[in-house]
Amino acid sequence: MDRRSFVKGTLVAVPGAVVLQSAPAWAQSPSYGSDIDILNYALVAEYFLSEFYRRGKVQMSGKGARYIQSIGDDEDGHIAAITQTIQNLGGSPVQAPGLDYGKALTSQSTFLEFALRFENLFARAYLGAAPAIQNKEILQAAAGIYGVEERHAAIVAQLLGREPEGGVYVGAVNEPADKATVLKAIEPYLKGAKAATSGAAVTL
Amino acid sequence: MAAGQLFDGEPVIEFSSDRDRRTFLKWAGIIGVGSTLTVLLRSGYVAAQTEDDDIDILNYVLTLEYLEADFYERGLGADRLSGRDLALVEPIGAHERAHVSLITSTVEKLGGTPVEQPSFNYPSGTFGSRDKFLQAAYTFEALGVTAYHGQVTNFQNGELLAAAATIAGTESRHAAILADLTGQNPFPRPLEKQASRNQVLQTAGKFIRG
Repeated sequence: MDRRSFVKGTLVAVPGAVVLQSAPAWAQSPSYGSDIDILNYALVAEYFLSEFYRRGKVQMSGKGARYIQSIGDDEDGHIAAITQTIQNLGGSPVQAPGLDYGKALTSQSTFLEFALRFENLFARAYLGAAPAIQNKEILQAAAGIYGVEERHAAIVAQLLGREPEGGVYVGAVNEPADKATVLKAIEPYLKGAKAATSGAAVTL
Repeated sequence: MAAGQLFDGEPVIEFSSDRDRRTFLKWAGIIGVGSTLTVLLRSGYVAAQTEDDDIDILNYVLTLEYLEADFYERGLGADRLSGRDLALVEPIGAHERAHVSLITSTVEKLGGTPVEQPSFNYPSGTFGSRDKFLQAAYTFEALGVTAYHGQVTNFQNGELLAAAATIAGTESRHAAILADLTGQNPFPRPLEKQASRNQVLQTAGKFIRG
């Protein structure tokens, strides 16, 4: 038995006896497409947050400023890693979309609330996409990025002084988010979205 | 370092059955966790594992979750935390207990036999102060994160993989918060690190030296 067989397309053929946080949406993710499509989907999410931290970090000071700087650096690192991977696979990375965050950048609290919302959502987006990833190395990297997005969410919630359970933490396990939910959430903040992502895997 | 030196000759993990001991030793493989291992290896009793099935992986992480759950139960019982510290750490203990029961029931549903909970011994002073408890907790969480990421691509069942990933994500949150509480960097790397079973068991073994 080849332990890597799940990489080769048998991923959806799972037995019914899955107890750990079984989520039907995971088995019904035809929209994820190829690994390059998934990487481009992730790249849009990373662009979305990277640019947000670049514009909004002026709201922070002290420890919070250091944390936000580190978080923004992580997102930049994710962009570089994902872009390089897409190119290595012979694909075309999507361009950074035009973004307008509106009132989210007006104060420290609106900044952090927005960051928390999207760190949480994008962590869940990685969880949603993970079972559709075919290549083992990409899966490993995506999982590694996912965990760091969970760290970001927890610390942003901590900066906001959120309640531990249901704020800093989201329970013993997290819920995946499907692609449609994620794209719908970011759509209001994209400028010229269809142009920015046309021809790419990300369709709104 | 010889196993005897590592553990000062004291047993640090006590198993409730020979079967559980054998399972753990199989994971421990060639690194030598516990002073009895050398003897067992010499006698050809333990072979290094090369082809892990999903149940085996789940039993491995179950042992780590037992360790974490036990650690928080004792640490919180020592009554060293208050205020925001306590509020942030109490749910972590609850999460580890939930992970134990989730993994246990999953192993059972897959037709496997969950390992039983070992007994753990901690170095004296581990729960002696707020700082020592939280620092040890940070060490455990950081270890747990790397352990899960070390197994991500070993799962044959895609949904088990996704389920393990979300547990790993919870451990990432714990690690970040404990880093914050202990004045360390919650974001040491842009991607989570991986560790093999042997690396994890070596670190766990050192930490829980009796």
